[in-house]
Amino acid sequence: MDQFRRIQTGKKGDIHMVLFKDKKILDDTTLDEIRSEMTQLIGKASGPDVLLDFSNVEFMSSAMLGLLGQLHRKISAGHGRLKMCGIRPEIFQVFKLTNLDKLFSIHKDAPTALATFT
Amino acid sequence: MDASSEAATAEARPSGGVDVLIAEDSRMQAKMLERRLVAAGHTVRWAENGSDALVLARQRRPDIVISDIEMPVMTGYEFCKSLKSDPSLRTVPFILLSTLADPIDIIRGLDAGADNYVTKPYEPEYLLGRMESLLATPLQVEDEAESVLEVKLAGQTFRVRAGRQQALNLLVSTFENAVAKNRELIVANQDLSIARDSLQKSNTELRELNEEISRINAHMVRDLEAAARVQRSLLPAEDMTLPSANVAWRYVPCQGLAGDFLNFFPLDEEHAGLFVVDVSGHGVPSSLMAVTVGRFLVPKVSDSAVLVRQGPDGRPVIVPPAEVATQLNRLFQADEFSGLYFTMLYAVLHLPTGRLDYVSGGHPALVRVPGDGADLEFHAAEGFPIAFVPEIEYAQQSLQLSPGDRIYFYSDGVPEAMDAEKNPYGDEAMAACMRAARGLPLEESVASLLAAVETWCQPNGPLDDISILGLEWRPSSG
Repeated sequence: MDQFRRIQTGKKGDIHMVLFKDKKILDDTTLDEIRSEMTQLIGKASGPDVLLDFSNVEFMSSAMLGLLGQLHRKISAGHGRLKMCGIRPEIFQVFKLTNLDKLFSIHKDAPTALATFT
Repeated sequence: MDASSEAATAEARPSGGVDVLIAEDSRMQAKMLERRLVAAGHTVRWAENGSDALVLARQRRPDIVISDIEMPVMTGYEFCKSLKSDPSLRTVPFILLSTLADPIDIIRGLDAGADNYVTKPYEPEYLLGRMESLLATPLQVEDEAESVLEVKLAGQTFRVRAGRQQALNLLVSTFENAVAKNRELIVANQDLSIARDSLQKSNTELRELNEEISRINAHMVRDLEAAARVQRSLLPAEDMTLPSANVAWRYVPCQGLAGDFLNFFPLDEEHAGLFVVDVSGHGVPSSLMAVTVGRFLVPKVSDSAVLVRQGPDGRPVIVPPAEVATQLNRLFQADEFSGLYFTMLYAVLHLPTGRLDYVSGGHPALVRVPGDGADLEFHAAEGFPIAFVPEIEYAQQSLQLSPGDRIYFYSDGVPEAMDAEKNPYGDEAMAACMRAARGLPLEESVASLLAAVETWCQPNGPLDDISILGLEWRPSSG
C-alpha cells in the first residue's frame, strides 16, 4: 500500500522495508516530510526492525544524517535493529566523512541486508 | 371559418394568454423569448423573417407581433408596413425590437406604422409589461384618410403616414425606452461608484498590508543581522596571536546565518586551544545551536565553559579534548524535534613541545603538512558526531608536531563543495592545493585553498558554510 509521498514501504516478515523515493534529499521540506512519514510508520511499533533502502538517492545533505540519528536512537531504545542498503559511493562519502559508517549497519543491497537480520 | 378558428385558438391557449407572433432571425434569441412568453401562458409562433411571419399572420390573426428589424428576405419595417396595410391585420399591435442607434429609426418606425419600440437588449419583464399595456388599450380603427405627417430631423424632411394614436404610442414608447435606459444607467452608475469605493478600500487595505509586510521584513532583517553579529563574536579576535605558532583562517557563511564557527586562543601560558565546529543544516535553527555551543567553548573558568575548569588549588586546569567532547555530547542530548547535531575538531597544542592532543566528533580529517617535505597525512575522526549517540565516551588522539609542520582544520564545506555538475571538490584536490601552497606563507596557503574551492563552485557559489583554520608550529627556541 502506497500511502506515503516520500517513502515506499513494504514488509518482509517483521522487517519494515523503506525505500526513499527522492533522488535528492537536500532541503528542509523534504527532510521534514520524510521525518514525519517515518514517525508514522514506526512510531507505534515496539522494537521494530527497519531496513532503509537508498537506491534512488543521488544527493543527500548532512542534515539527513541527523534524521538517521533520530531513527537510530529511537529504534535502538526499542531494541529494534536499523540497517541500511543501496548507498552509492558519493553518498557513502557523507557517512565516511562523519565516521558514521562505523555507527550504522550498512549493506550492499536489500537481499544482503535482509540476510543479516536473522 | 375565421371566427371558428379564432374560437379554437382561444380555447387552445391557457386563460389570460394571447397569441404571439415572433419574427426574429436569431434562433437563439427567438427561443429565449418564446420560453419566457410560454412561461407567462402565451401561445407563440415564430418566423425567421418578415415574409414568413406575414404568411403566418395571414393564416391566423395573431393578438400581437414582436419583430426584429434586421432580417433577411424582408426587414421588420417592410413586414410592419405590409401588416398595417392589410385591413384585417392593421389593428394587430406591432412591437419593433430595435437597438435605436439612430434617431432615423424612429421615423422609419413611424412610417412603417409600428405601435411600439422596445430597445435591445431588453429585460423580458419589460417586454411583457409593454405587451400588456398595448393589449389593454386596443387600437381604434382610424379614419381611412390617413394623415400625412411631416417630420424634420437632422436637416431632412420626412413625410410619414401614421395614425395619430399610433404615432403617439410609438413616440411615448420611445420616450419610455429612453427613461428606462436612463434608469438603468443611473443604477449602473451607482453600482460603479460602489465598486469604485470598494476598490479604493481594497487598495488602502492592500497598501496597509504591504506596509505591514515591509515592517515585519525589516524587523526580521534587523534580527538576522543582530544574530549574525552575535555569531561573528564566536570567531577569533582581530588581533589574536599565539606564541610559537602562526595561525590563519577563513570563514565564509553561505547564508546570513551559519552553522559553522571556528576559533583559537591561548588556554594558559603554554597551551593553545583551536577548533572548527559545524552544526548540521543552515539558517536560524543551526545558527542558534552554533551560538549555544560557542558559549561553552571559551578559554576561561565559568559555569558554562567546558575547556578549562577550576583546579583543587584554585588554578585553572585545562580539560583534555576527549573529555570536552564527552561533556558536550552529554550537554547537547540529541534534540528529538530537529535532529540537529554537530561535528567538532578540537585540539590543545602544547606550544613549547608541539604535542597536539585532539578529539574529532565526526569531523572531516585533520590534515598535517610536514615541514620537512614529507607527504601530507590525513587523520580521520575516531568519534561520532556530537549529540548523535547518547552517553558515549570520546577517545583522544595525539600528534607530535615538528618545527615547520602545518595542520589544517576545515568544515565539510571544503571537500564536499560541488561544481555545476554536482561533483565534490574532494580530498584529492584539497591535498593537491595544500601541497602546492607549501612554499607560500601560511596566510596565503589558507587563502589559496578558499579561492580554489570558490572557483570549483562557479557559477553557483558554495552551498555550504566554509571554514578553514591553518596552524604552523614555529617554536621560538627551534
